[in-house]
Amino acid sequence: MTDNPFMMMKSIDKSFNGVPVLKNVTLKVEKGEIHALLGENGAGKSTLMNILGGVHLPDNGSVYIDGEQVKMLNPRISQDQGISFIHQELNVVADLKVYENMFLGSELRNKAGFLKVEEMCRETHDVMATLGVDIDPKEYVRDLDTSYKQLIEIAKALLRKSRLIIMDEPTTSLAEHEVNRLFELMRSLKQSGVSIIYISHKLKEIKAVCDSYTVLRDGELVGTGSMEKENPETITKLMVGKAISQERFVHDNPFGPVIMEVKNLTSEGLFNNINFSLKKGEILGFTGLAGDGRTELFESLFGYRKKYSGEVRINGELVKIDHPRKALKAGIGFVPKNRKENAIIKDLSVIHNMSLSSMGNFESSGFLNDNLEKKRFQHYKDVLNIKVHNPQVTIDKLSGGNQQKVVIAKWLEANTDILIFDNPTQGIDVGAKQEIYQEIVALSEQGKAVIVLSSEAPEIIKICHSINVMYQGEITARFDGESADEEEIMQYATGSKREAKKIG
Amino acid sequence: MANIDAKEYSAKPSTTKSRLSWLWSEYSVIIAFIVIFIASAILNPRFMDLNNQLNILMQVSIIGIIAMGMTVVMLSGGIDLSVGSVLALAGVISVLALNASGSILVGIFTALLVGSFAGFLNGLMVAKGRIASFIATLGMMAGARSIALYIADGGSVSGEVAGFTAISNSDLWIFDVPVIIFLAMTAAVFVIMHKTRFGRYVYALGSNEKAALLSAIRVDRIKIGVYTLIGSLVGIAAVIETSRLNSISSSSSGAQYELDAIAAVIIGGTRMTGGRGKIIGTLFGVLILGILNNMMNLMNVSPYLQGFVKGLIIIIAVVFQKRE
Repeated sequence: MTDNPFMMMKSIDKSFNGVPVLKNVTLKVEKGEIHALLGENGAGKSTLMNILGGVHLPDNGSVYIDGEQVKMLNPRISQDQGISFIHQELNVVADLKVYENMFLGSELRNKAGFLKVEEMCRETHDVMATLGVDIDPKEYVRDLDTSYKQLIEIAKALLRKSRLIIMDEPTTSLAEHEVNRLFELMRSLKQSGVSIIYISHKLKEIKAVCDSYTVLRDGELVGTGSMEKENPETITKLMVGKAISQERFVHDNPFGPVIMEVKNLTSEGLFNNINFSLKKGEILGFTGLAGDGRTELFESLFGYRKKYSGEVRINGELVKIDHPRKALKAGIGFVPKNRKENAIIKDLSVIHNMSLSSMGNFESSGFLNDNLEKKRFQHYKDVLNIKVHNPQVTIDKLSGGNQQKVVIAKWLEANTDILIFDNPTQGIDVGAKQEIYQEIVALSEQGKAVIVLSSEAPEIIKICHSINVMYQGEITARFDGESADEEEIMQYATGSKREAKKIG
Repeated sequence: MANIDAKEYSAKPSTTKSRLSWLWSEYSVIIAFIVIFIASAILNPRFMDLNNQLNILMQVSIIGIIAMGMTVVMLSGGIDLSVGSVLALAGVISVLALNASGSILVGIFTALLVGSFAGFLNGLMVAKGRIASFIATLGMMAGARSIALYIADGGSVSGEVAGFTAISNSDLWIFDVPVIIFLAMTAAVFVIMHKTRFGRYVYALGSNEKAALLSAIRVDRIKIGVYTLIGSLVGIAAVIETSRLNSISSSSSGAQYELDAIAAVIIGGTRMTGGRGKIIGTLFGVLILGILNNMMNLMNVSPYLQGFVKGLIIIIAVVFQKRE
């Protein structure tokens, strides 16, 4: 560390309503480095970055850019200093074209006030070219993949000649090869002297791409230094304050009878000829890259999608599931991915989110019984370790991990024999992740049949008895959880290896 | 995230300032009601007269009943523009049924049936046809009015059964019957929305339809239920409207009722996009509109200017709610 970092936040204090969120935090970022900002949810990362971005004002402390103190009074000042913030939720307008998004708010105009469309397209094309991608500037953003939307945000930052780019969990919605592309991009940005602050929960990625790190815990700085000298275990220890085991969670419990059998399930363009069976007490994993069709497959099995053919048997009986209600009646529960869009009802209270799928359990003579709901929630609060002071607050006030636990509680209350988890640990901190893994394993030990979908192979290996790998809508390989190996899984997931015969 | 944790603390007010802002965000419409009420009492002494107070309640009862249904529709994320036209249609058909059968009961049932059937059709269009509620009910608004005009040949139809007018023109203790029906409907809708699963599902659906569906809720049926509910409330309102003067006009009855009902819901603090709002809020929204109308009459404001004042109040109400 030199004494003259490109950007320094010095002794920052911040509290909200008397609750301290940041305590004397200092962050230094050198020119042309990728700096990892780590910490569990609630550690204060977002607040720190919001102060840098001019969204919040610090109570104490100051921000220096190039050695000069800058008062970040509003986002505009921060932008003028060359700081760009790429949020976890992408801020692109789907109904505008690529170039329109790139120049949104700072359109190029000629003297008469009309837009210089061709020039904007050309500049967009040039910036995209430096990023190594070929997108038609006149394409509508809604027609692009998520990873390209992210590229647009990065390209926008480049167009504004940003010197410091903050990326908040940019890889949550990206597939493996897209992540690699992003990393290459970050490295080339680094070469050209741009600094990056990289926020992520995924230590492997951080190890791969970051030069240095700063760890926050409960609003305090607990460690900072160069990435080379550290290994992931010590950083994890810093983040959570204790060591986290990397071992497999799942044990060999005896399986019960087959509860679900799927034959020749096909939906045009989404998945093709899917066969598998699931036993009681088994945890079955499905993994693959984005576009492998696994989410669509299980959304169909849950009745959210109706256009599919094939046979589904539950407890030996043929069922036709064309609505989630029918899936629930057949004994299937579903914890979807993208919690915010698919799982939580943000205007309902924590308790009401818990009871939503099983209102019948809380009725007496046709009317809802608040006390019953409260009592049940207290039960799940203890079992799942849900951290909430007042369960009457709306669910969006909780951290991601706690929201997910409430969603799980909702399905536990529905008490289905089969539970499907799609990306259950998306955007969740390390501690809560472990708790969710333990809960999934505990469910299987109670004799429930569990299906876990995840794009993260290590996660699948950690908690599944057996693993299906999907590629472009087909199951290309099956592994035993014990013997599965991450690299081999990737080979099947990327389509470089196929094992069609075995699957038949 | 840390700042989100911090927000949670503000839900449990600790300082005077945050307690005040919590009080304001939860009960702004009630506070506004109290302010307007006191201001009216000071501006015009006749306002506080008991008969005047009861008169206000009587005047808002029809819009009030409709506004209760509108609250439910808007909480579900929809809107119903057809209420005024359906009221006219239900009124016209029920008077014909009343005259043909000679039975008041048949007349009432016909109004309820026509209202809820029109609502059911709206629900089908929105839920199964996946038509935006604004468009579907706009169609119903034009269609229902046209059929009412056709049946009544553009004019009014009058009841010919003795005793029918008693529904709107008699009272229990000091309250007119329509006021009692209005308060009873308010209580009923309150119970439905807060004490039954249907109400919970409506809030869920209005807040996040996809998550509601993925929580195994029969979203389609709930939507149909919502529009059928407002339809039957419109049917009740049609009976009161018809019975008041023993006649209903196919061309002018119910005109712009949808706007008054929506205004009351908005003033009451329900979010246009659904998921958040209160029945009690709408009750006070209705009363605020009623007091304003009453005051303008008492103070001899030109009837042509009354719409202007009403519009102003709606916009001010929404501006204040935005500040939350």
